[in-house]
Amino acid sequence: MAANQTVAKPSLKQIGLSEDTLWGLYYYLMKTRLLDERFRKMFRQGRYAGTYFSAVGQEACTVGAVYGLRDEDIIGPSHREIGAAVTKGIPIKEMVAQVFARSTSVDKGKTHPCHYGSRAKGVINPASTVAGQTVVATGCAMAFKIQKKDNIAVAFFGEGATARGGWHEALNYAGIHKLPILFVCQNNLWAESVPARLQGAIEKFSDRAKAYGFPGVTIDGNDVVEVHKTAQEAIKRARAGEGPTFIECMTYRWYGHSEIDPADYRSQEELDTWKKKDPIPRHEKLLTDLGILTPQKREALVEEIDQEIDEAVKFAEESKYAEPEEAYRDVYSENFPVRRDEY
Amino acid sequence: MKNTTYIEAITSALYEEMERDESVFMIGEDIGLYGGVFKATKGLQKRFGEERVIDSPISEAYIVGGCVGAAMVGMRPVPEIQFADFITPSMDQIIQQAAKIRYRSGGQWTCPMTVRVCCGGEVGGGLYHSQINEQWFFSQPGLIVVMPSTPYDAKGLLKSAIRGEDPVIYFEHKRLYRSVKEEIPEDDFTVPIGKAAIRREGKDITVVAYGLMCHKSMEAANILEKEGVTVELIDMRSLLPWDREMIFESVKKTSRAVLVQENTKTGGVMAEVSASITEEIFDYLDAPVTRVCGLDVPMLPFAPPLEHYFLPNAEKIVRAVRKVLEY
Repeated sequence: MAANQTVAKPSLKQIGLSEDTLWGLYYYLMKTRLLDERFRKMFRQGRYAGTYFSAVGQEACTVGAVYGLRDEDIIGPSHREIGAAVTKGIPIKEMVAQVFARSTSVDKGKTHPCHYGSRAKGVINPASTVAGQTVVATGCAMAFKIQKKDNIAVAFFGEGATARGGWHEALNYAGIHKLPILFVCQNNLWAESVPARLQGAIEKFSDRAKAYGFPGVTIDGNDVVEVHKTAQEAIKRARAGEGPTFIECMTYRWYGHSEIDPADYRSQEELDTWKKKDPIPRHEKLLTDLGILTPQKREALVEEIDQEIDEAVKFAEESKYAEPEEAYRDVYSENFPVRRDEY
Repeated sequence: MKNTTYIEAITSALYEEMERDESVFMIGEDIGLYGGVFKATKGLQKRFGEERVIDSPISEAYIVGGCVGAAMVGMRPVPEIQFADFITPSMDQIIQQAAKIRYRSGGQWTCPMTVRVCCGGEVGGGLYHSQINEQWFFSQPGLIVVMPSTPYDAKGLLKSAIRGEDPVIYFEHKRLYRSVKEEIPEDDFTVPIGKAAIRREGKDITVVAYGLMCHKSMEAANILEKEGVTVELIDMRSLLPWDREMIFESVKKTSRAVLVQENTKTGGVMAEVSASITEEIFDYLDAPVTRVCGLDVPMLPFAPPLEHYFLPNAEKIVRAVRKVLEY
C-alpha cells in the first residue's frame, strides 16, 4: 500500500455490531487473558496444586461464541474453556476458588483445576474424557426440543476430539433431529502433542459436518468479531429450529497442553507466527480506529479487572479446604446416604 | 389385582410413569415403531408420540450420554440398551458423566435417569446376547443398580427408579420376561430401592440371589426341603446399594450362607457380599461362605451344552448347600 494512500476507517455499520457489543467482547477478552495469565503465574509460584490448562491465544473463540447467550443456554465445555466460563458470567471468585480447590468452590475441591461449571450460569462442570460434554450438551439440546423451549446448547472441543466415537454419535443425532446446538471446534493445530494431520485426513475439520447434514464453516478464530457474528447467525438458526452449525475456529494455544508441558513438539517459528495474530491487539486496533478505545480507557479497564482478580485470589487463598468428611457428600441424593468406613 | 408377566409389568410401569409425568421420555434402538425387540415398549410411541418415545440411531454412547444432558435440564429420561452386551459404547457416559456429575459439581447438577438394560442367559443368546454386566456398575459410587426377579418388583422398582433423583442401571432379565407371572395390584405402587426381600423363610441356611438366580435358588430350596433342610432365600433386588442388614440378620440366624450369581465369579457382586459377611459377622458363621456362580470364562458360550455348563442351576446350588451344611 502506498504511504500516501488513505485507508477508510471502518464504520460500525460495516462491521454490523453495536459499540456496546464490541466493547463487551473486548471486556471479556481482557478479563479472560488477565485471569489466565494470573493463574499461570500463581501456578509457577506454587500457590495451588495439580496443574493448569491455559487458553492464552484462543480467547476470541470462546468469548465470541458465548457473548450474548442467556443463563438458560447450556455450555458443554472441555478443560480449556476459561473464556466460556468468564463470558457466561461465572464469578471470578468462584473460578479462583475452583482452581485452588477450596471449600468455597462449587465442587468443594472435588474435581481438578480449570473444570469450571455453574448450574446458575448454565455451564456444565466438565469431566476430562475428551468430547464427553459434546455428547451431554447435545442431550441438553434434545431436551430443549422436547420441552419446546428456545434455549440452545454450545459444545466446545478441539480438533482432536473430532476423532472420538461418541462425538460422531452426538453430531449424527443432532443432525437427524435438527437440534438447537452449536458445535464449536477450536482447532489449535495440536491435540496435546499430536498434530491435526494425525487426527483426520481432511483439510478442514468443519467438513465433518457435511456427513451429518448440517452446515460447517471454518473461520479465523482469532478475530473475535468474525467468531461472534458467525455464532450469532448459528444461534439464530438454532433458536428457530433450523438445526445445528459446526464452527471451526482456527487458532493457537501459546503455551503447553498444561503448565507441565514444555510444548517442545512445535517450532518456535510456528509459535512466533501465531503470536503475531494475537486476538487482543487486533480487536484493540479495531476499537481504537472506531474511537471506542483510548490508552486511558484500556488502563482503567486493566486496573478494574486486576482489582477484581486480586480480590478473588484473596478470597480463595483465605478460604479453607473442605473438611475431609466432604469426600462423602454429593455422591447420591439424600435418599441414599453413603456408608462410612472407619479405618 | 391383575395377573401380569414380568415384561407386562415393565410396559405398564413405563406407560403409567409417562402418563403421570411429561418429563419422562424414552430413547433406544427399535423401541418406537417396532415396540422393542422384546416388545417391552409396545404401543408406547403410538400413545405418547415420536418426541417422547424416540427410535434412536445405533448409538449407545449418544443414547446414554444424551440422556445425561437431558436429565440435567429437567427431563427424566429412560434410555433402553437393547442387550446388556451392547452397553460398552456407553460406558464412558455412564461412568464419567452419569455417576459423577452430582459429585463433580458439588450437587448443582443431577442426573435422574433410568437406563433399562435387557440382560441375561438361558435364552440361547450366546456370547453377545446373554451378558449381564452388573458387576461393572456395582463398583461405581454414584450409580444405583437394581435387578428385579418378579413382576411386582419389576414394576415397583422401575417406578422408584424413574421417580428418583439418581442415575439407575435397571437390569431386566430377558429369561423372565414371559416365564414368570403373578397377581399384582392395579393401583399405583413402588418398591423401595436398597431393600432386599425374603422369598422363603428357613432356619438351616441362607441363600442369597438376584434376577433369574432367585428362581433357580427357589427350585433348589424345594428339593432341599424334601431332605428336611429349610432354606432362607433372600432376593437382593437392589445391588447398589444392597441390603446389608437383611442379609446379615438372616446369616446371623442360620450361620451359613450360599451366594448365587449368574455372572462370572471373579470380582462379582457376591464377592463383595461374601467379603462383607466375613468382615462384619464372622463370629456367627459355622461354615465358609460359599458362592455358586457362572464360570470364569467369557459370558456365555452359545452351544446348548456349553451354556448349560456355564450357568448355575438348582442342582449346583443343592450340591453347594449340602457341602456347606456338612462342613
